Amino acid sequence: MAETTLTRAVDWSDPAIRRGISNRHRRDFRLKVIGASALGVAVLMLLILVGSLLYNGALAFRQTHVTLEFEISAAHVDAADPAAGNYRAITQDALLRLFPEVTARAERRALGGILSNGVQYALRDRVVADPGLIGQTIALDVLVSDPFDQLAKGAIDRATPEANRRVTDAEIAWFDRLDAQGRISKPLNLGLLTNADSRFPEQAGLLGALWGSFYALLVCFLLSFPIGIAAAIYLEEFAPKNRLTDIIEININNLAAVPSVVFGLLALAVFLGWFGMPRSSPLVGGMTLALMTLPTIIIATRAAVKAVPPSIREAALGVGASKHQVVLSHVLPLAMPGILTGTIIGMAQALGETAPLLLIGMNAFITQAPDSIMSPATALPTQIFIWADSPERGFVSRTSAAICVLLVFLIMMNALAVVLRKRFERRW
Amino acid sequence: MDMQKLSAATKIQARNVDVFYGENQAIIDVSIDILDHAVTAFIGPSGCGKSTFLRCLNRMNDTIAICRVTGSITLDGDDIYGREVDPVQLRARVGMVFQKPNPFPKSIYDNVAYGPRIHGLAATKADLDQIVEGSLRRAALWNEVKDRLAEPGTGLSGGQQQRLCIARAVATAPEVLLMDEPCSALDPIATAQVEELIDELRESFSVVIVTHSMQQAARVSQKTAFFHLGLMLEYGDTAKIFTNPDHEKTQAYITGRFG
Repeated sequence: MAETTLTRAVDWSDPAIRRGISNRHRRDFRLKVIGASALGVAVLMLLILVGSLLYNGALAFRQTHVTLEFEISAAHVDAADPAAGNYRAITQDALLRLFPEVTARAERRALGGILSNGVQYALRDRVVADPGLIGQTIALDVLVSDPFDQLAKGAIDRATPEANRRVTDAEIAWFDRLDAQGRISKPLNLGLLTNADSRFPEQAGLLGALWGSFYALLVCFLLSFPIGIAAAIYLEEFAPKNRLTDIIEININNLAAVPSVVFGLLALAVFLGWFGMPRSSPLVGGMTLALMTLPTIIIATRAAVKAVPPSIREAALGVGASKHQVVLSHVLPLAMPGILTGTIIGMAQALGETAPLLLIGMNAFITQAPDSIMSPATALPTQIFIWADSPERGFVSRTSAAICVLLVFLIMMNALAVVLRKRFERRW
Repeated sequence: MDMQKLSAATKIQARNVDVFYGENQAIIDVSIDILDHAVTAFIGPSGCGKSTFLRCLNRMNDTIAICRVTGSITLDGDDIYGREVDPVQLRARVGMVFQKPNPFPKSIYDNVAYGPRIHGLAATKADLDQIVEGSLRRAALWNEVKDRLAEPGTGLSGGQQQRLCIARAVATAPEVLLMDEPCSALDPIATAQVEELIDELRESFSVVIVTHSMQQAARVSQKTAFFHLGLMLEYGDTAKIFTNPDHEKTQAYITGRFG
């Protein structure tokens, strides 16, 4: 101690020392600026991403409808068998009545193209549900087809030469007349959430993908949560520290870094190939995602269990608690906030995972929401993948809108993780 | 003296105890008779092995994988390291209070009731209530907490927390109470309260306390053992150790010349 004491008095006003101090302050400032600008770049990128998604997706949050009077005449629909009626003719007539000058066959076809292909089926379902409508004329808000939806939203530039445009001058004139009569409306696009997928963008929605993702995540959670916690508890509390457990530990950490497409290949070979489980089903999707989520949950649980202060373990052991009592009534409850946070973050990752689901066929074209974990379905990210691949103009904005929906779910899950962590946080 | 009459019987007998942490020997050939109804203090410089030896007495060292204990330790004549002895049950009979107050993050009531519950000591809720009240009274905490038994034990002050830990330890009706520097995290007032309590506990238990405070050892204990580098250099009546020790190292330590 005595040897290191300075032998001379320090002159703190020495210019060299002062320079050193101001140099250090400058370096502090530089580090702060670098950090702040890095953060600024990250925030800017995020804003650009979200901004462009919202900008592109905004078109898909509204959907163009047209109000028409449909005459359900007995000539087209037989009251004895309403399902077999000629509803296509009814929808055609509804438009032709407004445009009596249109007579040529090709023109009439083009006029009919204003309405979405799904209108006749919607009308049929309505009449089948209420056969009393036969013989009446009903006014309905119905979907217009995608080109006119785009036209109404201004996504089709009227200044483009007619040959390069999806809609002809004549079609634009018809549409403008409908608009002038106040028949065109653009309400909130609820169909985006209540319809399943469709070939026609104006009818396509996320219902099937939402249910598919929900079922897949449910399966994933039910498998990975208990298995992950049990494995982590064993490794942390019971396993002897030897070479075997070291190897297992290293491999679990490596597993967390394996590209997800590899898990998809594994699932394809094992679940579909060997076990013959149903292709495209949320069950297989969930099992695949569980394989990916397991390492995340195991690692999070081990960290949370490690963070439980040893004094609590000692206290429990000291009054004679046995191993399982220490684990179940003391360690696990205290580790729960960390475990839940890790689990939800793992589940959020699983929700956004695309590659493994593509390999097990969850990117199929399915126009119905799944009714169980066994029926074929898509998931949110694969639905986005399908739509992004579709050529119709309407799918461009729908892709962005679907990404927004996915992001909303991810944000909600992360918020839930924060809330749970705050709620279960305890002091000791 | 009255004190002498109380401390008649031997409660714990240790013979030729060695403790190893892997290759390192932490305790070398310690033999000691710990008396019933007396407070025995283990003193010595840091790292001398007094805490290690204390933790042998309720087999807390079992939880450390690399720790190995040889020799014999008996409680009322029964070998506590015997094959048929369950450490879980032993720890109910030999309670322990730790250096840092470590109440469970549960209610005050549940903290005390935990031991009796897991060992099935209370048949009914009324029994359990009685055990909790009795233990809290023993720990001189009842009057302070009787109106807020449902509040978390972690919300109490440091001294209260430590008395809660003592209540938790006595709730399983142990025969021996081990205390590992129970006052080192407490302020002087709380320390005085706990010391007073230790003196009362002596009536019902054999108490073994590890302490760094000479004054504390002198105040609360009847017997004192001095540990140095894994050896127990001297063991005898507290009064003798502090006034006329046999060993020069003991003399040096209690007068503050090292440690």
